[in-house]
Amino acid sequence: MRAFRCLVWLEFRRSGVWAAALLGSLAFWAWGLFQVRAVDVAQQLGIRLLLLGIAGAIGALVLALMVGRLRGDTRAGLFQMLLMTPPTGYVHVGTRYAFAAATAALYYMGLGGLAWWTLRLSGLPLDAGTVAQLALGLPFYALGVSVIPLLAWTLLLVTFQSAYRVSGTGWIPGTVMALGTPFALRWLVNGIERVAYALPGWPVLGSVGADLIEAAQGIAEDPAVSVSLEHPALVLPQEPLWIMLALAVVLLLAAGRIWQEVEA
Amino acid sequence: MTQAFLIVLRVLAVALLATWAYRLWNGTRSWTARAVGAFFSAALLWQVLGGRW
Repeated sequence: MRAFRCLVWLEFRRSGVWAAALLGSLAFWAWGLFQVRAVDVAQQLGIRLLLLGIAGAIGALVLALMVGRLRGDTRAGLFQMLLMTPPTGYVHVGTRYAFAAATAALYYMGLGGLAWWTLRLSGLPLDAGTVAQLALGLPFYALGVSVIPLLAWTLLLVTFQSAYRVSGTGWIPGTVMALGTPFALRWLVNGIERVAYALPGWPVLGSVGADLIEAAQGIAEDPAVSVSLEHPALVLPQEPLWIMLALAVVLLLAAGRIWQEVEA
Repeated sequence: MTQAFLIVLRVLAVALLATWAYRLWNGTRSWTARAVGAFFSAALLWQVLGGRW
């Protein structure tokens, strides 16, 4: 436990500026959302949701860069020093991951709060359950499906590369993993699509959901746009969340194991 | 002509991937890294040999 606390402190010293900058950027996005002055309310809502989507994507990229700075650590000699410390590879990987995941949770909860504010600005009625889903439920679902496995994948990528540090062929594992991932991801997505909605879905956004489904049906009537309404637009399948969380655990265990073996 | 070009391209891609797979197997002492390398190399090889181009 003491080693974990010590490594968390080290991680805070290493990545605290990144985390503070990311969380501070929420103020910039709030300012940006407030600057949207389109006349049409639907247009305003669309532009604001697009801005929130961009904020989410940039946040994921920054977090992945934050956990994946092992190359810089290697140059600075920090990685070699960490390899010689008593904590196991699992603790090192877990600490780095926990710090990034906690930062991600705060950031995406902040974005959920901004989404709530955006819908309020658009005049959509929100009940307490919807607000809770916007600020907590949806951010955690989005985190579990995308950012949590992305961070685990990044950690595996950098530890996988570090296993070839001595032989000097670090670019080959990086290239093979980066090129192979889209194909592996396609198989994964196909598998998830096959099992989606086998378990009961999670209806979200309450009263707002009905309005958005109505809008989606309006879009579906346009012959140029193909929207599947086999399942209502705002019933989330729970299978992708569990599958991606399990995948993140497997990737982290593999990263920790590689660290252990490199250490040995 | 196009078919022949694609066959040559596939052969070259397989040769490159086989070289990388060999380097990935021999460049480390970590068995987990070897397993990860084998998985992603196999995914790429599968795509090169069985994928639609």
